[in-house]
Amino acid sequence: MAGKIGVYFDLANIGGLDAATLAKGVEEKWGKLTPVVKSVPVLAESVQQISDDIIEHALDGVLLCGASPRVDADLYRFKNADGKAIQVGHVNLREQCVLCYRNPDNTPADPGNPPNLLTLMARDYVNMGIVRLQKTEYGEPAIVEGVKRILVIGGGWTGMHAAREASTSGYEVVLVEKTGRLGGAVNNIPVASPLCSPWTDKEPVKLPERIKELCADSKITVLLNTTVADLAGEPGRFMARITGQDGTREYEVGAVVLAAGWTPLSEKFLAPMGLGKSPAIVHAGQFAKMLIDGTVQARRIAFVLDTTLAEQAFASEADAPEKAVAAAEAAGEDAQSDGENMDKPFVKEDLESIRHLKYSNVVNSVGMLRQANIICDRTNDATQAFIIYKNMAIPGILERFYKKMQNRLGIMMTKADVTDISDHGDRVVVTCKNTLLGMDFDLDVDLVVLPCGIVPVTAKDLTVNFAYRQGPDFPDLELFDGFADSNYICFPYETRRTGVYAAGCVRQPMTLDGCEEDACGAVLKAIQCIEAGDHGVAVAPRSGDMSYPQFNFVRCTQCKRCTVECPFGALDDDEKGTPKPNPSRCRRCGTCFGACPERVISFADYSIDQISSMIREVEVPKDFKKGGPRILILACENDAYPALDMAALRHRTWSPYCRIIPVRCLGSVNAIWISDAMSKGFDGVLLLGCKYGDDYQCHFIKGSEICNLRRDNIAETLNRLGVQPERVEQLEIAIDEYDAIPDLIDGFVARITAMGPNPFKGM
Amino acid sequence: MAENTLRPDTEFARQLMKAGGESLKECYQCATCSVACPLSPANRPFPRKEMVWASFGLKEKLMGDVDLWLCQNCGNCSDLCPRGAKPAEMMSAARDMIYRDLTKPAILGKWMSSSSGLGWLFAIPAVLWLIVWAIRAEIAGSWFPRAANGKIVFGEIFNGDYTIDPIFMLTFFGALAILLYGCQKLWQSFKPAGTITIIGKKKGWIRALCEVLWEEVIYASKFAECDGGPATGQKTDNRRISHTMLVWSFCILALVTAIVAIGHWGGKIIPAILITTPMPMTFPVKILANIGAILLLVALAMLTWRRARLNPRFQSSNYYDWYLLGIIWAVAVTGMLTQVFRLMDCIHAAFIIYYLHLMVVWMLFAYAPWTKLGHFVYRTAAQVYAKMYGRS
Repeated sequence: MAGKIGVYFDLANIGGLDAATLAKGVEEKWGKLTPVVKSVPVLAESVQQISDDIIEHALDGVLLCGASPRVDADLYRFKNADGKAIQVGHVNLREQCVLCYRNPDNTPADPGNPPNLLTLMARDYVNMGIVRLQKTEYGEPAIVEGVKRILVIGGGWTGMHAAREASTSGYEVVLVEKTGRLGGAVNNIPVASPLCSPWTDKEPVKLPERIKELCADSKITVLLNTTVADLAGEPGRFMARITGQDGTREYEVGAVVLAAGWTPLSEKFLAPMGLGKSPAIVHAGQFAKMLIDGTVQARRIAFVLDTTLAEQAFASEADAPEKAVAAAEAAGEDAQSDGENMDKPFVKEDLESIRHLKYSNVVNSVGMLRQANIICDRTNDATQAFIIYKNMAIPGILERFYKKMQNRLGIMMTKADVTDISDHGDRVVVTCKNTLLGMDFDLDVDLVVLPCGIVPVTAKDLTVNFAYRQGPDFPDLELFDGFADSNYICFPYETRRTGVYAAGCVRQPMTLDGCEEDACGAVLKAIQCIEAGDHGVAVAPRSGDMSYPQFNFVRCTQCKRCTVECPFGALDDDEKGTPKPNPSRCRRCGTCFGACPERVISFADYSIDQISSMIREVEVPKDFKKGGPRILILACENDAYPALDMAALRHRTWSPYCRIIPVRCLGSVNAIWISDAMSKGFDGVLLLGCKYGDDYQCHFIKGSEICNLRRDNIAETLNRLGVQPERVEQLEIAIDEYDAIPDLIDGFVARITAMGPNPFKGM
Repeated sequence: MAENTLRPDTEFARQLMKAGGESLKECYQCATCSVACPLSPANRPFPRKEMVWASFGLKEKLMGDVDLWLCQNCGNCSDLCPRGAKPAEMMSAARDMIYRDLTKPAILGKWMSSSSGLGWLFAIPAVLWLIVWAIRAEIAGSWFPRAANGKIVFGEIFNGDYTIDPIFMLTFFGALAILLYGCQKLWQSFKPAGTITIIGKKKGWIRALCEVLWEEVIYASKFAECDGGPATGQKTDNRRISHTMLVWSFCILALVTAIVAIGHWGGKIIPAILITTPMPMTFPVKILANIGAILLLVALAMLTWRRARLNPRFQSSNYYDWYLLGIIWAVAVTGMLTQVFRLMDCIHAAFIIYYLHLMVVWMLFAYAPWTKLGHFVYRTAAQVYAKMYGRS
């Protein structure tokens, strides 16, 4: 808690404001709390001066009023006489006050003579900044000493690479493989698509050599014929129980790389394309075995990549999972209101569907090129390999491989709609429409090869079996048809369970080169996670955040909302329902404290009281008509807050009646803040956060969605108080949509203005 | 069921690649070529579709494709191809394969398709004219006889009435017959299965032929269109001037030959128009002949210069191109040298060069159906077809 704060106005960045008046206001209002109030010409050049002031006046907090905290924040890290870091606060007077300002009549401010409204706004922000610093505590990091051992689930291409990568990085590895041999799907792929530069040539995988290398590695323990019975604990010190033929053994591990791989899509989904009707119609997996056995006699082979026939046949079924998702969401909503639902026994739903065939198109595109190449190679292009595609999707640099394959005499490719595949005894006829050859045609071939669907193991099995309060499986897998991909846009490999990183085809269908890269990425993430626990700091997206939510259990009513709503399942509970924190599972989003009706959860540097106090610090004019309305904007600091900055920097302006407070995530918005704002006399509250739903962009996955759900409860409360619930709105904004910001804000302000003053105003 | 059953012929594609279409598999069907082509019609444009046919080895499709002959090989498509493919060369190679396979005897097509057959091609006229020379030498009593007035007269050995004229007339009309036979085969292959409906007025073939000869042969208007294509960043030489000069020189030389033939044979009936060779250098027909010869040399030099400077990244010349240029060079050079040595009175050199001249002239005509020279007939036929059926 800062008790002596130095306040500095950065004149270079707040032109158009009367800094002297503001400084005088601070001195008058805060007196002893702010022994140093200075205006400096250029803040960045005054770092030494501030450091001197800190020593001289024994300051324990510094408030910098100038540019956005997103600008040059690393320049301003200060220590006191004892060498301890002191609190640094920023007041965003440049972007979110001066630059975004315009008069209510839409004229720009006069730079020589700051309008009263602008001064009021600046004063509010400075006061909010001081209160914020005043209410910021020093937190103690929650250190979890990490075990330098990584559990790799799956001994396929990805798992083997992950194990080697971890071992070369100095970490021990426990590799769990459920079958009796390593290599997984690669046992069927003796020659792969390119794995390295120049990305044009087939690549022998040399599986036996790699297995030998792996087994000879003293840091790697390979456990064949084993599965994970369950995983308890938290990153840094997970306890994994591994079951095998010799019973169950426990291994302490720091993090987990999930490389469980995939199973082929059920053959029934390929029946509409003719699979099973003739021995001359096979799928890519069967063809791979034929290639290995050397039993391919066919000299005219059609590789059919267009799966429309199968997709149409199962169209109605493909819709069903969407309904299931809707149902699951409805169930999820129930779960929000009633934590008891979660105690029901868990039943793993089979998420395999025809959609996996479509998702596997990239792998099939590359795979069929590879197989066509092998057969043309063997027969010196005496074999005609036709590749009939709807979308030939070759990822990234494998384009070079595609180019080379295209040049093979024996490989002929055309886009086409395959409308029929029929067996005529001595030959199979593939009927192609809308082809690149400018005509519809029949293709007589000796063999048809159909694509293979990649179904992630997580769609069918519980791979990790978490001993977590929120259940044994990854949450919301149905959103991604079972792929253990959290759909984090900016954070690949992350799952909804901190410390568990997905890699390879369990995450998304990919070719072997992609699996290798994934393995490296996931291992680096796992190492980062173990190291973060060692330092007591958060992993992405708040990497390095040392704070951790503290619980005041005395007032906890065991309502379980926090344990249910935590997007990462960080909180377990005891029999009574008292939350049991697991610091290293936590990503510091604050969703738990947003959920808590008793407000018993807080961070040292981010708390209910802190934001409430900031809200109360705003001066709300009693006369709505004369002083204008006041709007509180709670802006998500991941996307919305930067978007506001970017809009202002691009000369976009908005209503001068808004006051913006950044929050870690809309999930951390507690209903009490809205009540506080309403009783303070604010006329409206705008919650500005990320998109939610299937294509969510929330950095904490569920934050903006949960906030939206909570808003219904807030609306009820407001109704009861006699305040129109329309005074609180949640709007979605992506970081690149800064252009839309003025319209969003002004639209809301217009709606509030039309509604008239908040009935609580002035009370 | 679709109407067509695809019959890809990998062997055909392989041959096409060997014949100069190496890049045919590079095409990824973006159709930049069709957009770049100044001649391609909006409806079913070329050469994109030809590229995909070629990569699938669809021989019948390509062999019966009239568009192949509408291409004038400006190379814009190859210059602009984002994938480094060379549609122009593939089209050119496909035309060469048509020269090779369209008419019999097939062995001539095979000999003509690569330099390895060159020996046979030279051997035939060499033997033919050697026999003539030997017989006449026996009669004249000398291999290098002089005329009664002491001058060099080639007729002493290669007598016009009994040797050159009959042999060349036979050769010329024989080749012409074969060309026309090929032409008729080609015409049949252009016609698609089923019926063609023409909207608008159909042109008769005579009118279409006259138009084509006027526009394409005399004016080479397609070359002008070619040159007016999009900027490709590559240097494009003006082919219209050189090609037109070449065609005109051929016309002049053909005219001279015709006049001399008429003067010679007609003179036997009407003495007033009698022309005796060798003609004096000041004789108008002789002057015309020499103008034709000079035009021919200049045009040849320009065409050869252009081909020699082509950027192989985008365009190059194949064996058929060089053969035709080579044989015309040989005709021109031996023809000029014959005259030079005759005037210099070097009797041995004059007769030997004249013998070589006869050889290459015979080759030029006799092998025309299997060489690029055939394009004079085949391309004209295709253009007539296109005119008649409104494809432009």
